[in-house]
Amino acid sequence: MSSEARTERRKNKLRELFTRVVDPLGYKFSPDEELVDFLLEQEVMTEREKGAPYCPCQALPGNREEDMKLVCPCIPFNRKHFDIMKRCWCGLFVHKDVTNPDELEQISPKELEKMEKETSE
Amino acid sequence: MEKVFMYTLSTCPWCKKTKKFFDKRNIPYDYVDIDKLKDENEKERIIQEMKRKGGSTATPYVIIGDEVIIGYKPKKYAELLGIEE
Repeated sequence: MSSEARTERRKNKLRELFTRVVDPLGYKFSPDEELVDFLLEQEVMTEREKGAPYCPCQALPGNREEDMKLVCPCIPFNRKHFDIMKRCWCGLFVHKDVTNPDELEQISPKELEKMEKETSE
Repeated sequence: MEKVFMYTLSTCPWCKKTKKFFDKRNIPYDYVDIDKLKDENEKERIIQEMKRKGGSTATPYVIIGDEVIIGYKPKKYAELLGIEE
């Protein structure tokens, strides 16, 4: 089996596995199919290189405990943050009611902190 | 114009979009693809800096002047550089 075929097969397997995790959390794969395909490909490559499908858009801190929180899907470790954004950081998953993911902006942890402070005052 | 520097990941599509934002406007920038670094000490130093200044290792991690912007934020880049988005 060619390397491309193996990559495609693993991407499909990750789709299956991830759906089972994110569906009960109220998330689905982004409607942006090109983005989803690219991100899954990156995760298959990262999995081969580093042993787990880490988030393609968060640098690994380098210690196991923190790195494990970046294994996709990382929604459970960032639930409040991602619920506010209605997407995960890399955009692979969005809330089930999202139809246009381009409208969803990334909110950094510091911006989130500021938002929460402002609403609690 | 303010200096633009960024920490990025070669696997991150939002990092690619951010680079394209500056390329399209011929705005010079420097960047480091953290995942491509061979020097583990340098990688560790960068991770610590990202955590200390930005509170996160999420990318794109853009520094314009002395402001840190985490995430793909074209409006913010344009505002800080005084250009049209």
